[in-house]
Amino acid sequence: MKLTSPETIPDAHEDSIWTASWIPATEDSPPLLLTGSLDETVRLWDPESKNCILKNTGHSLGVVSVAAHPSGRIAASASIDSFIRVFDVVTNNTIATLEAPPSEIWQLKFNPEGKILAAAGGGSASIKLWDTAKWQPITTLSIPRPEGSKPGDKSSNKKFVLSVAWSADGRHIACGSMDGTISVFDVARAKFLHHLEGHCMPVRTLVYSSAPLDSRILFSGSDDGHVHVYDAEGKTMIAAMSGHASWVLSVDASPDGAAIVSGSSDKTVRLWDLKMRAATQIFSNHTDMVWTVAFGPPGRTDVRSCSLASVSDDKSISLYQYS
Amino acid sequence: MACVYIPVQNSEEEVRVALDQLPRDASDIVDILKAEQAPLDLWLIIAREYFKQGKIEQFRLILEEGSSPDIDEYYADVRYERIAILNALGAYYSYLGKIEAKQKEKEEYFIKATQYYNRASRIDMHEPSTWVGKGQLLLAKGDVEQAFAAFKIVLDGDRDNVPALLGQACVHFNRGRYSDSLELYKRALQVFPQCPAAVRLGIGLCRYKLGQFEKAKQAFERVLQLDNDNSDALVALAIMDLQSKNDDSIKLGMEKMKKAFDIYPYCAMSLNYLADHFFFTGQHKVVQDLTETALVVTNHGPTKSHAYYNLARSYHDMGDFEKAGMYYMQSVKENTAPREFVLPYYGLGQVQLKLGDLKSALTNFEKILEVHPDNCDTLKALGHIYIQLGQVEKAHEFLRKATKVDSHDPQAFLDLGELLIPTDTGAALDAFKTARNLLKNGNTKKKDKADRSNKGRHEDEVEEVPVELLNNIGVLHFERGEFELAEQAFRDALGDGIWLKFLDDKAEIMSADKKVEDTGADVPDKDSSKKSSVGEELSSDPEAQVDSLRTAQFPIDATASVHLYKDLSLFDRLEEQGIVVELPFNKVSTLFNLARLLEQLHHVETASIFYRLILYKYPDYPDAYLRLAAIAKARSNVTISTELLSDALKVDEKCQDALLMLGDLELKNDDWVKAKETFRAAKDMSDGDDSYASLCLGNWNYFAAIRSEKRAPKLEATHLEKAKELYSKVLLRHTGNLYAANGTGIVLAEKGQFDISKELFTQVQEAASGSVFVQMPDVWINLAHVHFAQGNFSLAVKMYQNCLRKFYYNTDSQVLLYLARTHYEAEQWQDCRKTLLRAIHLAPANYTLRFDIGAALQKFSSSTLQKEKRTTDELLSTIAELRNAVRVFSLMAASSNLHVHGFDEKKIETHVEYCKHLLEAAKVHYDAAERVDLDNKRRQEANEIARVAQVKQREAEERARADVIANLLLVCYIILFLFDLLINYLRQREKRKHDEEQKLMREQDLLLQRKKEQWSTPATKRKDRSQNEDEERHGEKKKKGGKRRKREKKAQYESDEAEPMEDQDEIYSVSHHQDDDKVDQTDGNPQDLFAAAGLEDSDAEEDTVPSNASRRRQAWSSDED
Repeated sequence: MKLTSPETIPDAHEDSIWTASWIPATEDSPPLLLTGSLDETVRLWDPESKNCILKNTGHSLGVVSVAAHPSGRIAASASIDSFIRVFDVVTNNTIATLEAPPSEIWQLKFNPEGKILAAAGGGSASIKLWDTAKWQPITTLSIPRPEGSKPGDKSSNKKFVLSVAWSADGRHIACGSMDGTISVFDVARAKFLHHLEGHCMPVRTLVYSSAPLDSRILFSGSDDGHVHVYDAEGKTMIAAMSGHASWVLSVDASPDGAAIVSGSSDKTVRLWDLKMRAATQIFSNHTDMVWTVAFGPPGRTDVRSCSLASVSDDKSISLYQYS
Repeated sequence: MACVYIPVQNSEEEVRVALDQLPRDASDIVDILKAEQAPLDLWLIIAREYFKQGKIEQFRLILEEGSSPDIDEYYADVRYERIAILNALGAYYSYLGKIEAKQKEKEEYFIKATQYYNRASRIDMHEPSTWVGKGQLLLAKGDVEQAFAAFKIVLDGDRDNVPALLGQACVHFNRGRYSDSLELYKRALQVFPQCPAAVRLGIGLCRYKLGQFEKAKQAFERVLQLDNDNSDALVALAIMDLQSKNDDSIKLGMEKMKKAFDIYPYCAMSLNYLADHFFFTGQHKVVQDLTETALVVTNHGPTKSHAYYNLARSYHDMGDFEKAGMYYMQSVKENTAPREFVLPYYGLGQVQLKLGDLKSALTNFEKILEVHPDNCDTLKALGHIYIQLGQVEKAHEFLRKATKVDSHDPQAFLDLGELLIPTDTGAALDAFKTARNLLKNGNTKKKDKADRSNKGRHEDEVEEVPVELLNNIGVLHFERGEFELAEQAFRDALGDGIWLKFLDDKAEIMSADKKVEDTGADVPDKDSSKKSSVGEELSSDPEAQVDSLRTAQFPIDATASVHLYKDLSLFDRLEEQGIVVELPFNKVSTLFNLARLLEQLHHVETASIFYRLILYKYPDYPDAYLRLAAIAKARSNVTISTELLSDALKVDEKCQDALLMLGDLELKNDDWVKAKETFRAAKDMSDGDDSYASLCLGNWNYFAAIRSEKRAPKLEATHLEKAKELYSKVLLRHTGNLYAANGTGIVLAEKGQFDISKELFTQVQEAASGSVFVQMPDVWINLAHVHFAQGNFSLAVKMYQNCLRKFYYNTDSQVLLYLARTHYEAEQWQDCRKTLLRAIHLAPANYTLRFDIGAALQKFSSSTLQKEKRTTDELLSTIAELRNAVRVFSLMAASSNLHVHGFDEKKIETHVEYCKHLLEAAKVHYDAAERVDLDNKRRQEANEIARVAQVKQREAEERARADVIANLLLVCYIILFLFDLLINYLRQREKRKHDEEQKLMREQDLLLQRKKEQWSTPATKRKDRSQNEDEERHGEKKKKGGKRRKREKKAQYESDEAEPMEDQDEIYSVSHHQDDDKVDQTDGNPQDLFAAAGLEDSDAEEDTVPSNASRRRQAWSSDED
């Protein structure tokens, strides 16, 4: 398990790159990388040639999240103005513009089947779900208020939802809050299940393991510099890994389930061996905070290898090979 | 059978006296001698025989009779025999005097001896034997010079007089002129080769003293050949053997010494040496017996001194310092020649050092140093004393010298290193390293030796490099930021133990790259070989062990995970699994330091395990609680942090650090009153002497001054004054206290004395850079604030950016806010906007930032609209931004239904309305601009027409000159008139629009004016504070952080980053303006929607206030609260 040294696309955007997502390969196209930036554009990249294929404008205020539909044909992007733009990857035609006022929109994730789009609803302390066929809202998964708190209570602010993750089987959804708690929901029943505690600072990133047997395993990264590993169903913490010097901004799990990668505001990207429970590789190629790390789809020639992308405030994209 | 025959008077007969059968009662003999008037030489022979047989009484009786006045009279002409008898008696009494220990008797004997010699002299002045006797007597009395004279008289007469030669040799020996002495002994031997063994003894001693040890040895051996029982020779040989450093000969020497002791048990010298020996074998009782005997039998100063020294040493070794001191003292007193025997001074110095009498010890050691200026131990001892006396310079000098004298003495380097720690860590580190290397080399040498002599058993014999030394090396590396070296040193210090399992867990990971490629099989191999080499067996299978370490840690219930840092059950589980959880006491500090290092390297989890391990084994170790509390606090786990601190306080009620940290946490929880009490308690604990506590209180006062919800200028001033007083107090006591200086700077800045405060901040900033432990972002921020306040925006921006990068990994939204404000004031709209967006992205839940960006967009737009000239593009982007502003505000307005975030709905709505209004206005402007463009086109067309007309006119003129002029003119006039009309119409239209706009602006100005008036009354100004609490609380948190930071200088526990202190006083001015609006609103002073255009205010202000700087100051002072 290791990462090759990165190839970098410098100045991929005009300003900080905040978000990235891999678009699965389609019949006509190899896997592509979608990035969103403070410069209010969303750009599409061919990882092979390192060329920018498309440059979408239309967002105002920085782009905070991009998400790709599993089909590889549709993608969604959201910005600070809390609009979600759903568009056709190839034509860049807008398919839908979504919003859920008064809730703002932070992280976006399509479910594994591609039927639902979930968005972290920030101050509304909830996750918003849309149906991807008609682009109609399905439901809102709200974090229950702690007992005894009044509606006007400020503590609700602490449940501000920043991040969201689907379990590999699509049955569960987890969201991370400003106060460090992680809430787990049953999607089918639209029911809150339980909290996972351990962090006391904002949880900006969550990801379920994508390995077949580990669908309960949830990884979280927090401003406290730790990466936690939970059994999201068993409600237990499996490991706490320290090493980042500052906030953990992004975590992604490798397709083979053996490793995770984290990006941090300490400018490093770390590869963590899950068996060892510690960082085996540390990359310092970025010169500013690393906002997103993302594993790409398995390679065409070698299924055991895949790409990894990291994007940073330094305006660059780095591409690695994981094997 | 030897006989003497006493001739019977007046007859031919003789009385035959068998010398071996002398009657017990000597008076029989005396009677016979007297009766028969025997010749005096017979008397002498018989007396001598008695003496030889040890019958001293009889010997004396005969001689005394033989020297009685009757005899004198009777044998008046027999001179030589009379003299011989007298001399014999003189010699006898000299001897008695010599061996007598009691002073009084001794003198009496000497007097008697003198009397006899004098009588002999009266008989014949020139008899050499009398002079020899006198010389011996004088020698015995210690009167060396006179003895010299006496012997000289004899030798002048007969230079081969053997006894005189011997006597004179003895004199020379005593005078220390050993070669002269040797010459004389040699001559005596030449003259009288059969002389007794004792002569050769003299030669031996002279040779010995002259350093000719081999010849001395030969001489002594010769003595022993002649006289098997000569104890002096035995002792001498024994001493020589003992002095050789060879084990075998020492053994031989001891045997000889014992033999000498058996022959003559009262030889002080041999007693001393025996005592020496038994001291080293540790038989203190024997030592005491021997030395006591020695003390009784000798009067010889140096020997006594040696005996006392032995005794003292023995007590010293047994730990009885009082007695040892006493005997050392005695030894020193008896010691007539300190140059030759310095050891008692050393012992005395040591004991005095032990008993705390530094001054006396100092003098004693200095005495030794006079004799042996290069004695390493003495130099070290002196170094120590000077350290304790606080004279660092001198101590330094001595230790340096010690290390120079003996560059292989690890102890000297150790001491030197310790001395250097506070002043020069680099040099200290070097000294420690040298010490470590020396010890290591020593060990390997020993090891080699042990290996050669006894394979396999070397482990026990090797002296470990002390844990403390390695620990110190580690700490010094740590302080110098050399973390890897520090870790290695700590690991060396800790050796093997359970911690390695946790550490190696981590270490494996670091080298995992390789291991993955390795086959799994050799990993356990490596482990097991490592383990067996250290000889500890925890469990047979290392893999299983690592697993059990993990299973003991995880999984844990997610809800319980919050309490992780208090959880010690991990070790219980490990013990259940049969893993030994051990932590030797001498390694606790090192483990703690290692944990600190891991924290610094962000391996917080391993660090926390180590802290917990310390607590598991030593629950009374408050520092571990404090660190765990600090870790929990850094992770925002306030509850656990508080609990850990109260645990620490349970262990140690007087733990000031814990109290102070608790106060800090209370501040974090917004528990002001409690926090103040805690700080007070902490301060009282140290009798008000603790800088940190004072600083905390100072900070508290400062925050109180700038925080009070209802701004009471009086209260504010008193708080500020109090804060300043506290800071200054600390600064007075510790001129180097950065935090106090920083605090003072802040207070000065609050009072508008920017230049002084800037100077202060700059100095603090310089001082703070360069240490791993001192992290003071506050001062950067403060400096930036001052630059900002003085209108020096570009510098302020740079400062803020550097601070963000250097201390916060660019993650601090508060500093970004400062930055945005600076951009705002500098009218760098794009930068301001982006900075705010970044801040929002970092702190999404901070709605104040959203408000701020809305406001910034609004301001940006309105300022564009007010510009004299603007392009359509500008207008287009203005419109886009206004739409964004409307979006932001309306989102906020809507979400405020859901939750409170400190903003008034109405107010936001007014913003929304205002922005919408601006948007419309902008559209109008845009339309207008478009129309102007159109007009311009038309005008150009009209001009074209006119030109064409003119051309035509000219043509016409040419064509029909004068006659048609009138007609043409008329036509021209008409055309021009029409043209004018058209232009006028257009202008009027434009002007009307302009007026409309002007009117709007005037109205706004009016509003602003009104508002400004309201502003100028500060009491009303801060009402909004409560609403802005979000932001404020944020600020408070930081300050506390900063405060805690200060502690670090004192106790390097806190590793979290310091945070700005001054954030609060500098609430982002954009929001400030907004706040003011809010005041208006909440005060029930409803205004029309233009009132919401708070942003216009600053423009108005800018126009009215002439000097830029003064305006800033005003802004500052209003911001100060």
